This record gives sequence, C-alpha cells and structure tokens, in this order.
Amino acid sequence: MLGVGRRGPLGRDAGPEAGGGASAAPQALEEHAAWVVLAGARGVGPVTFERLLATFGSAVGVLRAACETGAVPRLVEASAAPDAPPALTAVAAATVVEAAAEPERALAAVRRAGVTVLTQRDESYPRRLRQVELPPPVLFVRGEVAALSPAHAVAVVGTRRPTAIGRATAGRIAEAVGAHGASVVSGLAYGIDAAAHHAAVRRGAPTVAVIGGGHEHLYPAGNRGLATAIVAGGGAVVTEFAPDVAPSRGTFPRRNRIISGLSDATIVVEAGARSGALTTAAWALEQGRALFIVPGRLDDPAVAGSLAFLREAGPEARVVAGIAELVEDLGLEDVGVAWAAAATGDARSAAGLGAAEALVAGALRRGAGSPDELVAATGLPGAAVLAALTTLELRGLVVEVLGRYQPTGRLADCPRRLPRAMGQGAAGMPAV
Amino acid sequence: MPPVLATLLSATLHGLVGRVVRVEVDVAPGLPGFTIVGLPDAALSEARERVRGALRNAGYRHPPRRITVNLAPAELRKAGASLDLAIALGVLLGSEQMSADIGGVGLVGELGLGGEVRRVPGLLPMAIALRDRGVRRVLVPQEALAEASLAPELEVIGVGSLGDAAACLRRPRARRRAPEPLPRIGVGLGASPAGAVAGADDGLDRVPDLAEVRGQVAARRGLEIALAGGHALLLIGPPGAGKTLLARTIPSLLPDLDDTAALAATVVASVASEAPVTKLQRRPPVRMPHHTVSYAGMVGGGPRLTPGEVTLADQGCLVCDELPEFGRDVLEALRQPLEEGSVAVVRVGRWATFPARFTFVAAMNPCPCGRLGSAAAACTCPPGAPQRYLRRVSGPLRDRIDLWAAMDRVPPELLLRGPAPESSAVVGERIAAARACQLSRNGGVPNGRLGGRALREACGLDGPAVARAVLLSEREGLSGRGTDRLLRVARTIADLAGRPVVGAQDLDEAARFRIPADRFALGLAG
Ligand SMILES: [Zn+2]
Repeated sequence: MLGVGRRGPLGRDAGPEAGGGASAAPQALEEHAAWVVLAGARGVGPVTFERLLATFGSAVGVLRAACETGAVPRLVEASAAPDAPPALTAVAAATVVEAAAEPERALAAVRRAGVTVLTQRDESYPRRLRQVELPPPVLFVRGEVAALSPAHAVAVVGTRRPTAIGRATAGRIAEAVGAHGASVVSGLAYGIDAAAHHAAVRRGAPTVAVIGGGHEHLYPAGNRGLATAIVAGGGAVVTEFAPDVAPSRGTFPRRNRIISGLSDATIVVEAGARSGALTTAAWALEQGRALFIVPGRLDDPAVAGSLAFLREAGPEARVVAGIAELVEDLGLEDVGVAWAAAATGDARSAAGLGAAEALVAGALRRGAGSPDELVAATGLPGAAVLAALTTLELRGLVVEVLGRYQPTGRLADCPRRLPRAMGQGAAGMPAV
Repeated sequence: MPPVLATLLSATLHGLVGRVVRVEVDVAPGLPGFTIVGLPDAALSEARERVRGALRNAGYRHPPRRITVNLAPAELRKAGASLDLAIALGVLLGSEQMSADIGGVGLVGELGLGGEVRRVPGLLPMAIALRDRGVRRVLVPQEALAEASLAPELEVIGVGSLGDAAACLRRPRARRRAPEPLPRIGVGLGASPAGAVAGADDGLDRVPDLAEVRGQVAARRGLEIALAGGHALLLIGPPGAGKTLLARTIPSLLPDLDDTAALAATVVASVASEAPVTKLQRRPPVRMPHHTVSYAGMVGGGPRLTPGEVTLADQGCLVCDELPEFGRDVLEALRQPLEEGSVAVVRVGRWATFPARFTFVAAMNPCPCGRLGSAAAACTCPPGAPQRYLRRVSGPLRDRIDLWAAMDRVPPELLLRGPAPESSAVVGERIAAARACQLSRNGGVPNGRLGGRALREACGLDGPAVARAVLLSEREGLSGRGTDRLLRVARTIADLAGRPVVGAQDLDEAARFRIPADRFALGLAG
C-alpha cells in the first residue's frame, strides 16, 4: 500500500482503510476514486474497463470524457477492440456518463458500507487474483485485506443442499487445510460453503467469503452472522461489486471466478447436475489452478455433477481419496511449518499464536519432540520454548509424554506418520 | 591446709549450640578420690583418668586428696571431653600448684594422657557461646586456633599442652594471639566427615561447568530455577542422560554465603568435622550422600548427636541420586526438613533440633530398567513395575517437590548441532540476582518456602495472569497445594527475568515442571 509509484505520480501514503476513504486528499485520490466510480458503473466489466482505460489513459480520463457532449457513442466506440465488437452497450455507456456526472454517489455508497477498496493499482490487491485473466479492477473488502493473500489458500465449494455426509466432509476438509495453515475460500452460500466457513472459523483458521453482490445486499441474509464471525476471526468478505449492487442471476458466476482465482486449489465437495460449484471448478482449470473433486456413489444425485465433471475434465481434475491424502496432494504437508513460522502477523493473531508459539509449532510439525530439539530448531531460549509449549498445550495443539511433545489437534501430522515416542512408551506408562 | 575452691569457665556442645559450663573444683583434705558431679556422660566421666594421667605426665602432682568437680548448671546434661582442660587447671589451682587470674578466661580442650591438648568437635560454637557469656579470652587447642578464631570479637590463644596452658595463664600477655581477619573467600567445602562431598577444587572431585552439559534445556532450566528459589527439584531420566553430571555442576552455580550464613555453615562443619576447620565456609555446602546412607547418617544422631546430611547441607544443597534406592525411612525423614527447614534428632533421653535449610535436588530413573519414555529404546519392565517404582517416592515427599524435569539421552547430532550452552558463570549470576531480589522482597524467605497469602502477595498477579493461573490449575486438576507450587515456581522464574510481577509467560513456563502424574494421564488420554 505504500507503493508511491503504483499510486501514480502524485502518490500518497495510505493504509488499507484509506483505500476506500474517498474523502482523502482530493488531488491524489482522484485516480483511485475514479477507478471506484468507473468500475462501479453497471455494465462495466473487466473487459470494458481495460479497453476504456487503454483508450483514455486513465480512469480520470474516462470520466472526463464521459462528461463531454457526445460521450455515449465515444465510450461505446472506445470499448471496442481492433478484432472485437464494443463491450459496452449504449445503455451501459449512458450509465457511465451518469456515474461520471455524479461521482460522489458511488463514493458515498462505499463510505456508507465502511469497506476497504482495493484497486489493481494497490499493492495489497490479492496476488493470486492478479495472475488470472481479466481480474476485477476493484475489490470491496470487509475484514482483513491481508487474508486475501495468505501463504496458501484452498477453495472449498459445493451444493447449497448437501447431504449430511457432504456437510461433514466439507467441514473436515476445511479443518484439515486450515490446520495445515491454508486459508479456506468459499462463497458464503448455504450448504457446503457455509460448512467450510464454519469449520475454519471454529478452528481459528482464516477464511475468505466471496459474495455475489454488493456489501449492502449481503446474500444469503441467513449467513450474515457467519460473515461477521469470519471478519471477527481475521478473515475477509470480499466482492467485486459495488456496495449497492444487488445480487442477481448474472453476478454469481462472476463471483465463482474470484473464488477460484483467490485460491491455489479448488475442492468440490458435492455438486448436483447443475450446481454452480461446477462453474467454480471450470474456472479453476481455466485459471490453471488445481482442482479436486470428492467422488461419491453412482446414481447419487448429490454428486451427479461432480462425477460428470470428473469424467469430462480428464486428468486435470483430481480425486479426493482421503483427508490425509488430500493434504499431501495439496502439498500442504509442510505448510503447517510455513504457516506457523512465517505467517504474517494477521494470520498468527487469527490462530491466536505469538511468534514464539508459532515457531515452536512449526518445529513440532517438522518432527522435533524434545525441548532440546525444539531449541535447536527454533533458536529460541529454553525458557521461551517451555512457555510456548504450555500455550500450545492449552490450545489443544500438543501433548506431552514424559518430556517429549507431539503435535495433536489441528497441528497434528497426517496420521501415517507415527508419533516418535508414543509407539513404544504408551503401554507401560505409569499412572501414579 | 584450708580447702580451696577454683571456679573456671568452659563449654560443652548441645546439638549445634555451645553451652557455657562453670567448672568448680574443690580440693579438700580427706580420703583421696576424684568425683565429678552434674550430669556427666560416659566420655566426661573418663575425664578423671585423662586428667590424672595428664597431670602426672606434665610434671605436676595428682594431689592425694578428695577432689570434687561440680559442673554447673546442674540440670544441663554435659557430654564430651571439652571440659578436660578446665578440670585439670582447676585441680592445679585448687591444690595450689599454681596461681593465676582466671577471671574472664574460657578453657576448652580435651587432654591426652601425655598432657597434650586436643581439639574437640564443635570448638567454634563453644567459643561463640563463651564470648556471648562475656568471656574475653579463650584458651583452645593449638591445632584448632584458626577454627576458634572464626568467632568474632574474641581473643583466642592456642595451647599445645597442659603445661603451655598453665604457663599462659601465669603470663597471659605472652602467648596472646590476635584473631586472624576473616577470610573473605573460601574455596572448597571445608572439612567434613566421611560421605561424598562434591568438593570445589580438590582435583578428583572437579566441579564441571554447566557449559559441559550439552542439551537438556528443561533440566538445566529446572536446576537454575531450583537453586534460585530454593525449590526441590527431581530429575527423571534414563541412565546416561546426564543427571549426575548436571547435579555435579551445582557448586559452580551457587552464590557465596553472606556473613551470617557463612558462620552458620562453618559452625556445622566445626561440629561435624573430626579435623579442625581452618576457615570460614563461604561456599555453600553441597552434599551427595550415597543411597545406602543410614537413617542416622541422613538425619543425624549417634552418641554425640552428630548432625546428619540434611544439616551438613544446611544453607546449601542436598543431592540424592537414585532417589527410590534410598531406604524408605530415610526418604520419609526428608519430609520434616523439606517442610520446616530443620530436623529433630532424638537419642535416648537427649534431643536436638538441627537446621536443615537446603535446596533438595534428586534424580531417578523413570522405571527400574530406565528406558521408559526414552526416544531411543523401549521399556522392558513388567507391567506395573514403573508405577511401583515411582510410588517409592511417597506422596508427602512428592508434594514437597516443586520442580519435575524429564531428561533423555541427547542424540549425538543434537550434541553437535545444538546451541552453545550457557556457562555456570552466566547462569550463576542470574541465580545470585534472583536470590537477592526475592530475599529482600519476601523478608528473607526464599520463594521455595512461600505459601498461601504471602505467596499470592509476592506474585502480584494482574487480571490476565490470574486468569492464566486459574486456567492452568483447572486444566491440571491442581489442588490448592498444586496451585501454590505453580505460583512459587512462576515467582522464581519472574525473579530470574527481573520481572517485578508474575506474568502469564512465567506461569506457562512453570507449568512445564509439573508433577508427572498429570502428564501420564494426559499421555494416555492423548
Ligand atoms: Zn522400564
């Protein structure tokens, strides 16, 4: 956020909250605000935005042009590419003109919603999203901006009407990837989405909800409490739609491309024949991200879409063969370490761990078992290691057996790796 | 010839305390005889023979008259041979073989048949007792001159024989010795009777530096906390884990004793030692009795009410390696000193209370085969054997142990890779600072002896720390006693870090040294 260059020649120093504050220094703000106004205009998608920007040089330039006479045809013309028809209809161009005439309306809506605005010009714009084709020019964020760019992110999506098993599976997957330090991305919908978010929140892992409308129209309303919990837990609720945009049939597929775009991998838990989760799956492959599908029984309508997708996608789509196997396939086995040791301050506070505890947790996951090994692995003083072990123990992350420590709970390794001292010691453990 | 009554001042030993005895010698006409009255013990009754022989062999006459020696106060039971010199000189004065001004003079020493004056154990407390009674000048055996000179503000004169003593009393100025200044630094642990002592610098018993102990961070830290706060520590680990090596570093970690404590330690040495004590014992004693030690050897007793290991370790450290191998009665006997800082020694009709304020450091294997909980090998004990082994350390004794630290053999790669361990000098400095700070705050009481309200006040827990303490107590299912233990240890940890109040991190660290009954339960549950 401090990148002066990315803010244009005038630059300014701003924290994340200032990104949405249209009330900051007007001169410098103009381009940033112009982005918000232009991207917020109905009918302006990423394609239109990019073309208009290319023609007029800047969003300020676009808005200035929109205020001139004969702007509508000029804008429509500018939204065309040499080999493509105009992306902007005349109606949509009129909306841009309208927005340009009254920029304060869009900015006021942002202020009212109290959200952070991230444009592609901002350094804190999610790096994964930046890599996909045509990323949304502007994102509206409630919660931690840093949660959008975690070390590892896994999307867990599926039907709104899951079976009990599907719901539980989504929770277990979210818990496992959360335990290994990845953040859980989903769409805040009922069913699988909610189960995944819930599990992550419960385990203190950061989670990101991508909603299919503006923040003023949070959908579904029944998950409003969940959204609050996500934000309170250090996660974020994010959308590319301006706060006053109501969700509609067309907004959800666009939302799905952000879900996959924010994630390293997408996991489809249960998807019926026409489930929207399948579009997320398709987007994941389109964006070159990993895709995993939880298989199911033949003839089970809950997984009809999943199985069909598996059949058609070929080897690019992979199967979830078990939680531990998934963790391994995701390459998350050692991520617990990265999460614990190198997590950002935000992720750490979301997990409730201090720096020393995080280091010790990381070393424990790498197999260090005695205080000596932990000291050697972390470089911390012995006293700090001992105190950290108690904190981890109280949080249910570690157990001690006769002076040796093993990760447990969400810090636990995949079950195939046997704990080192437990194997032989447990049988004859004296209980005094 | 009219009867002459000579009155002299001497002293006997009662426990660790010298008691002044007035020796009245009456040499009267009549049937020759030699009677000692005033509750003498067997050794004292034999004084007649020693005095008789000494007088003759020193060139004096043994007067053929009725000699009566009265020892006052009458109700005090007197023991030992320390009164010999006074009795013999009393006979010389009473039979008018010499005359001298003996006002304000004390006489302490055993006589040989040849007239030589020998040292008696406990010369130092006896000299102190005489001084406290207003005696200005004391005649002591020449060989123990240095020992008696450790009593402050007292003129001490060494005499080699009865003749020496008589000559000295006739010309008191001639043989006067000014007391030597107190030596400030005493290396070594002073002389002591049989029993293993981790001596400071006597070659064979070289004290290893803490830097020689690689790894074992939990045990090292446990020892640091134990020595800083006077907490009892139990090290549990397989043979070869380095328990003994770690314990042997203790002398290098303890700070010097202050004047009062040094004098108290020297008094103990003076009483216990068969050889003269030569200097003030500045270094705290570290006693490592073997597990075959007898009850009397541990607690004290014997014909002379000799102090035992617990008293010899007063102001210092008592180390018990192989704790469960000690006799059951010996282990039971540790309870009283651990609770009260003193021990009562009783022997037919006589008793004494000895100080026993030591830091207790014990070590044991986790089970009879020693491998339980080890990362490298499996326990081969029959079922139930480890439990029985641990139960040999009885509940009440377990309750007095604040710190439990598990040790394991350090894997070779860690020996090379691990961080360079801190040296004794560095850790010893922290210990000394933590001690000074807690003693001034607690009014001279070490953290290890705090409890109840005084403990809570000393901790000064704030809101979050109270919450942490409650959480830890509940989680561990701690009794009130267990919670006190946690707070005591946390208080010392904070003192080591120079923190005026105990914080959550101190409690967290303290919780790692909990009694393993809870750990086993957790281990089985996990
Ligand atoms: Zn065993």
